[in-house]
Amino acid sequence: MARWNELAPGTRAHTIDKGRITTAHIMRWSAAVENWHRIHYDYRFATEHDKLPDVLINGSWKQHVLVQLVKDALGPEGWVWKIRFRYKKMDVAGDSIRASAEVVDKQEIDGLGFVTLRVVLTNQNGEVSTAGFAIGVLPLPGGPKVPYPFEARPAHAAVQLPADD
Amino acid sequence: MDAPSGIKAESFDHYRGATGRTLVADLPLERDTLRRFVQAIMDTDPLYVDAVYAKGTRYGDVVAPPLYPVHAFRPRIGGADPLDALHADPDADGSGGNEGVFFGLAPIESPFKRLLNGGNEIEFFRCLAVGEKAVANARYADVQLKQGKSGAMLLVTIETTFTTEAGERLLVNRQTLIWR
Repeated sequence: MARWNELAPGTRAHTIDKGRITTAHIMRWSAAVENWHRIHYDYRFATEHDKLPDVLINGSWKQHVLVQLVKDALGPEGWVWKIRFRYKKMDVAGDSIRASAEVVDKQEIDGLGFVTLRVVLTNQNGEVSTAGFAIGVLPLPGGPKVPYPFEARPAHAAVQLPADD
Repeated sequence: MDAPSGIKAESFDHYRGATGRTLVADLPLERDTLRRFVQAIMDTDPLYVDAVYAKGTRYGDVVAPPLYPVHAFRPRIGGADPLDALHADPDADGSGGNEGVFFGLAPIESPFKRLLNGGNEIEFFRCLAVGEKAVANARYADVQLKQGKSGAMLLVTIETTFTTEAGERLLVNRQTLIWR
């Protein structure tokens, strides 16, 4: 569990290394969600028909990695309240995916802690393919649990996702 | 604004604010479906697979990852097979017209063929639990014809509210799609 007092702006909150994502990983995802678009598993279609460098790692997969990143950064007592991200670059089969979260800000409102995180996905060359921000909710030391389901109260509107970088 | 292809921005105005039909997942969330899903996203959180562990959490039972509901709507038995198109057209992309991105909205008709995912903004309320069905209600929050460096493109923001059948909110997803 993330400890509220140890979350300082500018510090790394969490990192997930997914390792090298191969065509097999991409195919497993495509099958799990029944997405049969050929740019994700048919090399000839992806490269010759769609002129892509290789089959693509699904954006739909990458979004779950970002949500997992925030969820794991907060721990089981936290709640991923909001996330916004933009896809900036393609990731292709063979790329290694790392997810990183950095603390941007934190506020205490109505007895709960709100932490704003910058979240990014990078490849083996350190290039950012996906980037955005998230807001997580945490219990304060000695404070009440985070309500579940989480329905924001009007006072929570004081915490907003930052504008895109 | 006239795009190079001759299409006019006004031709998309009627989509803005339009809502679609309510989608109800055919099947409730099953544990094996969830197992395959979390293995595919490579998340080993016991909350998603271990009923004993989950019982001791605030969730009380196994639940899906927060963003799972966007994938809860699968092809219906007896419905169109997205791979049928490959028999008639070997260059078909296999997407079945990307029906899955519309969540019950009438698909946008345009000359653009290539679809890119621009990004998302999501608010989460709770997780879908095993045994629950997801429900989706979508609307076109925005539709804009833009001129980019490489030509015209259509920027579409679809706002989809996912709930349980009882109407409890799971998440609201604002997804930006780009057609070129």
